[in-house]
Amino acid sequence: MKDEKTELSGSLNIAYMIQRILIVLVAGLMFFPFMNPARICGMISDKISIFTSAISYGTLTDDLGRAIEQGWVDETVFFILFAGALLALLGIIATGAGACMSLGNLKFKRTGALITLLGGVVELVGYVICFVSYNMLNSGDMTPTQFASKLEKKIEPMFPSGVFVYGAAAVVVILIALLLLAKLPKPEAEEKYEMESKYKLFLMFLPFAFLAFLFCYLPLYGWRYAFFDYNLGDSLSMDKFVGMKWFGYLFKNSATRNQVAQVIINTLGISGLNIITQWLPMVFAVFLCEMGSMKFRRFVQAFTTIPNFISWVLVYAVALSIFSTDGFINTFSKSIGLLAEDAQGKNYLMGDHFTWVKMWAWGTWKGVGWSAIIYIAGISGIDQSLYEAATVDGAGRFQKIWHITMPGLLPTFFVLLLMAIAGILSNGLDQYLVFANADNMAHINVLDLYVYNLGLGDGNIPLSTVVGVFKSVISVILLFSANALSKALRGESIV
Amino acid sequence: MAKTAQEKIDAKKEKEYYKKHKKMYRTTPGDVVFNVINYLFFGVFTVSCIFPFYYLFINTISDNELVRTGHVNFYPMIVKGGKNIFGIMFNNYVALREVSDLARAFIVTISRTIIGTILMVLASAFVGYLVTQQEMWHRSFWYRFLVITMYFNAGLIPIYMNMELLGLTKNYLVYILPAIVQPYNIILVKTYIESIPGELEESAFIDGASYMQVFSKIIFPLSKPILATIAIFGAVGHWNSFQDSLLYMKGDTSLMTLQHRLYDYLTQASDIGSLMSQGVDTATAARKMEEALNAKVIRYTISMVSVIPIFLVYPFMQRYFEKGIMLGAVKG
Repeated sequence: MKDEKTELSGSLNIAYMIQRILIVLVAGLMFFPFMNPARICGMISDKISIFTSAISYGTLTDDLGRAIEQGWVDETVFFILFAGALLALLGIIATGAGACMSLGNLKFKRTGALITLLGGVVELVGYVICFVSYNMLNSGDMTPTQFASKLEKKIEPMFPSGVFVYGAAAVVVILIALLLLAKLPKPEAEEKYEMESKYKLFLMFLPFAFLAFLFCYLPLYGWRYAFFDYNLGDSLSMDKFVGMKWFGYLFKNSATRNQVAQVIINTLGISGLNIITQWLPMVFAVFLCEMGSMKFRRFVQAFTTIPNFISWVLVYAVALSIFSTDGFINTFSKSIGLLAEDAQGKNYLMGDHFTWVKMWAWGTWKGVGWSAIIYIAGISGIDQSLYEAATVDGAGRFQKIWHITMPGLLPTFFVLLLMAIAGILSNGLDQYLVFANADNMAHINVLDLYVYNLGLGDGNIPLSTVVGVFKSVISVILLFSANALSKALRGESIV
Repeated sequence: MAKTAQEKIDAKKEKEYYKKHKKMYRTTPGDVVFNVINYLFFGVFTVSCIFPFYYLFINTISDNELVRTGHVNFYPMIVKGGKNIFGIMFNNYVALREVSDLARAFIVTISRTIIGTILMVLASAFVGYLVTQQEMWHRSFWYRFLVITMYFNAGLIPIYMNMELLGLTKNYLVYILPAIVQPYNIILVKTYIESIPGELEESAFIDGASYMQVFSKIIFPLSKPILATIAIFGAVGHWNSFQDSLLYMKGDTSLMTLQHRLYDYLTQASDIGSLMSQGVDTATAARKMEEALNAKVIRYTISMVSVIPIFLVYPFMQRYFEKGIMLGAVKG
């Protein structure tokens, strides 16, 4: 393979740099709602980005349904707008593809420049169409009712200033692409499409990094709701910016403070029960391995692991079938005469007695068999000659367990304990959501459930975001402290 | 349960070993007591894990009237000639056709399980392979970029708002897209691929294979065991998924998952239960009780239907999950 890497001149490199930065910026910006070129009126949500506008007509015109139905606005305007947004999105994607190709050899670079050029033009056309739809909405030939409704019903045509920002970027991209097409030397006829392997690998990886960005990094942008007075469905404008109000509210408002205090006590209580019984799976495994019959061991292992694979909803279904008013416990008590035939059974799932212990018990029932597997594997990894030597020396069963098995399992136990401590604030939502009822709400309300109910039940988005932010930050700090502790004590990290 | 040849040999060896050293392992009275207690404990615990599912099952295949009056406790019963006898019937499973929207929930859940699992496995395999390639542009940065997402979480509400921002609420894609890139699975695959001898890859490269060819012809087939492991966990996760449906499908019942449906049925029934305890007027209460009791059998049947697939794949899973959990312990 001959190396045909052509050194580009400095000015071309700079041109490439500017073009790539612009393309990456626009590709990132298209997920953020500010300066959305498709937001041509106040009734288009200010929480949607050009990306969302382009992929979902339903979301774009979510609040406009009534206005269109009543003939206040002409729906074709929004079809045109949607088409414009879609074109713009396709254009952005094409410029991105072109930029990716520019990482290759000369032939790739030229094709890439061409695609970038075409993409830029399509993108620009898209913005122009958005702008045209704005003009159609704003002026043009309107029926008198449409004109009146424009003023009264808050259609509020809005000048989409984003068009010019995005448009300017597109123009620069186009100009640079033209420049590149003119300046790049013509590839030789027999040259093939080639790219250095480091870029090839990177480009193959890129789509997945992009997904991770969308679903793991982009949500952090939602933390902004903590700084606004915001209700679900409202618009999010700067005049609703309240700074740290909600952070203070958490501590100043006594009702909220008491509630949050109770929630934190519940969270720590239930997690605490789980942490102090963290040794259960280990003991479970040790005693399981003490049983001589391999068949019985296999049998026990197979069936005690099953609950781990059942969803919490199904666990709740099971719980209902056993403990509810007409469940097994009550019907069985009736059939053996413990309970009168016509008595109203007791629903063991209602009531608020020992809620923490009950939740701990369900979690343990579901998880202990599964958690024991790692210890069982650990036990089978212990050197058998140790046991033989101990037997020869006259050690009993418990001595062997205490002096050989336990020390062998301790490192694993330690890691899992640290992980449990790091996750002390995260009990998960499912279990508590399904088991919660009016009676036990006071003691079952853990942080995850509280945030869910506060945010999506009561619609207090800012406050629930604040609680979530605190939870996330503390969890990360705990995790890294646990990691540092592990490093200091064992010389190994756990994350 | 299928035993591998190796396991059989091991068991045989173990037996011989115990025979040889019988004297050393003679049982004392203390051992007998210990064993009795030990077996008893594990026996009882295992029963507590199986019995609820058995109980649900026998109630779904018995006569509904007997279920209603609470006669079915240990074995399925039907009424024949005025007598309650042992017997089974599958009317309830047939009646499920009448339950509104259940079929739709099934289609949603099955399709997301299949599509979601396939995409997740392919993505994990491919990304796991890419991050083992040292030449990749800023490899360690991009690897960390993925892995670090395991340790932080923006929080429930910001994630919800993000899905709304992306137009993914009330959208089937919300079940598929966020679950494609799973850092933990990628780590598992990466660790596994690193254990494959590098010479295989190198010789393929020397023969002029491209990255895609090496991946599809060498790496992918060789990492099937670990891919099977993550596939099973992924599939169970999709099948059991409840939270995403609950959050993102508010007000759109057509895309609910099976578990969400089941949750709805369960909570409706328990609401009626709480009405009873609060003492509303008796006529309404009696009618609602009637409905609730019919709902009980339906509830059991739906629960059974959504748990059966897990039981069906469970024997296959068992072979893989020990491997999976051990590999997880040596991540890095």
